[in-house]
Amino acid sequence: MKLTWLAAILTLGALESPAAAQYPNKEIQGIIQWGAGGSTDVVTRAVTPHAEAVLGGKVVMQNVTGGVGAIGLNRVADAPADGYTLLFGAENPLLYKVMGLGTKDYSDFVPINVIARGIPIIVARPDAPFNTFPEMLAHIKANPRSVKFGTTGPGGLPSVITAMINNKAPMQVIAVPYDGDGPALTGLMGGAIDVMPAVLGAAIENIKGGRMKAIAIFDTKVNEALPSVKPVTETNPEFGSFLPWGPFFGIFAKKGTPDDIVAKLTAAYAAGVRHPDFVKLMDARGFTIMNIAGKEAEGFLSKWQSNTAWLLQDAGATKASPATFNIPRP
Amino acid sequence: MQALNAFLIPILDLQLLGLVAIGTFAGIYVGAIPGLSVTMAVSILISFTFKWDIYPALSLMIGIFMGGVYGGSRTAILLNIPGAPAAIATALDGYPMAKRGEAGEAIGIVTVMSFFGGFMGIIALAVAAPLVSEFALKFQPRDYMLLAVIGILLVGSLSGDSLVKGVFAGALGVLIGTVGLDPLTMADRLTFQLPELRGGISFIAVMIGMFGISEALMQLHDVNKAAVKQKISRIVPSWGTVLKYLPLSLQSGSIGVIVGALPGRGGDIAALMAYDHAKRTTKNPEVPFGEGAREGLVAPETANNAAVGGAFIPMLTLGIPGDAVTAIMIGALFIHGLNPGPMLMIEKPDMFWFIVGALTMANCFMLLFGLTGIKVFVKIVEMPRSVLIPLIFLLSIVGAYAVNGSLSDVYWMLAFGVLGYFMKLYGYQLGPVILGVILSRLLDDNWRRAIISDQESLWLLLKGTVTSPLSAVLLLSVLAILLSKTKLWRRWRGQAA
Repeated sequence: MKLTWLAAILTLGALESPAAAQYPNKEIQGIIQWGAGGSTDVVTRAVTPHAEAVLGGKVVMQNVTGGVGAIGLNRVADAPADGYTLLFGAENPLLYKVMGLGTKDYSDFVPINVIARGIPIIVARPDAPFNTFPEMLAHIKANPRSVKFGTTGPGGLPSVITAMINNKAPMQVIAVPYDGDGPALTGLMGGAIDVMPAVLGAAIENIKGGRMKAIAIFDTKVNEALPSVKPVTETNPEFGSFLPWGPFFGIFAKKGTPDDIVAKLTAAYAAGVRHPDFVKLMDARGFTIMNIAGKEAEGFLSKWQSNTAWLLQDAGATKASPATFNIPRP
Repeated sequence: MQALNAFLIPILDLQLLGLVAIGTFAGIYVGAIPGLSVTMAVSILISFTFKWDIYPALSLMIGIFMGGVYGGSRTAILLNIPGAPAAIATALDGYPMAKRGEAGEAIGIVTVMSFFGGFMGIIALAVAAPLVSEFALKFQPRDYMLLAVIGILLVGSLSGDSLVKGVFAGALGVLIGTVGLDPLTMADRLTFQLPELRGGISFIAVMIGMFGISEALMQLHDVNKAAVKQKISRIVPSWGTVLKYLPLSLQSGSIGVIVGALPGRGGDIAALMAYDHAKRTTKNPEVPFGEGAREGLVAPETANNAAVGGAFIPMLTLGIPGDAVTAIMIGALFIHGLNPGPMLMIEKPDMFWFIVGALTMANCFMLLFGLTGIKVFVKIVEMPRSVLIPLIFLLSIVGAYAVNGSLSDVYWMLAFGVLGYFMKLYGYQLGPVILGVILSRLLDDNWRRAIISDQESLWLLLKGTVTSPLSAVLLLSVLAILLSKTKLWRRWRGQAA
């Protein structure tokens, strides 16, 4: 709330500046890092019309995919810093440097809004011989190299959750790679894999439909969307040190964009994310709304980066040490 | 009763009916313009229809989907530029027909067969959706791999005179498909550390260049030759013709439904597999394949429109997209407050029957719009080359740019056009290249998934393949296709006959 007031005051103050007074006077290009139909796409397309109403302009959304989102990110980074090209992205760019995928990350951008955070959940095929997280660990220990975990490649949510588990309870599993959590969850339903760490929103309908079972929510508290599933810290409190952790969605402008334009965009998207329709949508999918911007968002991003990058570094999953890029150890 | 009511909503409500009609009409043109895809159109519509109710929004999207899959055949036949990957096989025999002055007949066959295929998909969706989706879920990584192998063996059908040249072209396609960040491990493959190559080479750019530009360059050889006069006497195929191809279209439609229902596999692979099936099973076509065989139009066009209904099967029963377009529609349902997943059919059966109804109407509109205006369209082919060739260039450049809004895609498209031209000059067929690009990922990803799942043991993989009925059948088809090409088999067949 406080933030919105601040944004509103900034907006009023900015009216004197000619650039912002006219902004937006043409269509804004919105570059979505991920493909049509994915969660980043759906979430950002759902919030934008509400923000457009406040902004009084049109944001034309376009999916620019490839290179784990790096192609889209570079497209925005190469455009002028005038607020007419925005990036709609997820958490991945914060790991580009340590994963050797690129030289840019969100430190080259100004966060307009970090919209929401997803809750990780571990799901298994319905006939898997375990029902709880401790049972799963015991089963894996008793049957090394036989349980199949789905993964979405280095830096993806499953790789981070697997690194967390390996950190506390080293396990030997087969990691079957998929190009996204959608195909992996489909594989889980067909029995191609046994366990998949996924974002709650992607799995919730299948859990309700009995196509997969929830083993544990990887969070510190029960989620209202799935009240019967235990958080992992209830059975294994040692994981509390990593949590809460989760993927997120955000909107970014290139660094150097005039402050008054940033303020205008921030105010518009803050109002958009608060819109009751959007809140309802996010609740139904088990996403936790964040709606933060400015310094608060920058703080969140750098903390997320240092936690995750070092976790992966300690698990031996990185290509370059976070220290190389001055990412502080948490 | 409730189901029937929901089915009738898009038929009886004039506004919804109108939206389906507009969608279908627009879809035909979106589909016909290379580079503009149904996927793109539907994702733009998500923002556009944001404030609408779900029924009108879906009516428009479904119309575009049905019309778009069909529309891809238009430019494939008239200009040799497939409007969409699903129309690649259509170009192989459709364009030769247009060159002989039979474009009208080709479009007529394609329209009627698309309509027929569309209905097969809709009937499968309405009657057997849970059954088909359970079957589609059974496909394991090794089964997808075997499916890709069957697809790769199509090179044999597409090579023309020289199998060696066909295999070379196919391998080139597979290689092109592997460029970029490996989607499974994020390792650079053939990118030479160039950031531009990390996203891979746009497959649509390769397709437009190889088909469109290379053909335009070929036509420059005899730029002053008068265009062929198009015969426009027979457009709608007679009942006799339809009945003659009925067995083939039923088989092709089934291929379309199943491949369409496989998660993430769409009309492009269905059409190519059906084309191959036609070529294998048609004993004596009136016109050889590749030179304008009617069977070469019937099979892929029935299959790709049957795949539309097929793609909705996993979407509506399980919330899994059957292809790229249904993936976006799942997003649209979500934005409109629905929860696509296994519970959708139980909680909101109306939605299921509404979609069946809208698809039915879209299919009828497709037939109507498809059969009108053909006489105007075929005039495109009669244009003097000095007009036609620049037009192909223009369409190709705009199309390649539209895919990602990226100028480098235009350069790729032109480069592959020139490469395609020289390949044609030296007797290499271009079909296998495109086939290789399409199947590259399917083959590579699933081979690795399969072998990793089986503890990287070839023995366990083989054991798993022969003990699973589905994999065993697929393996047998691979072996049968290979065997049918051997001399031993032909000699035996010869004696039997």
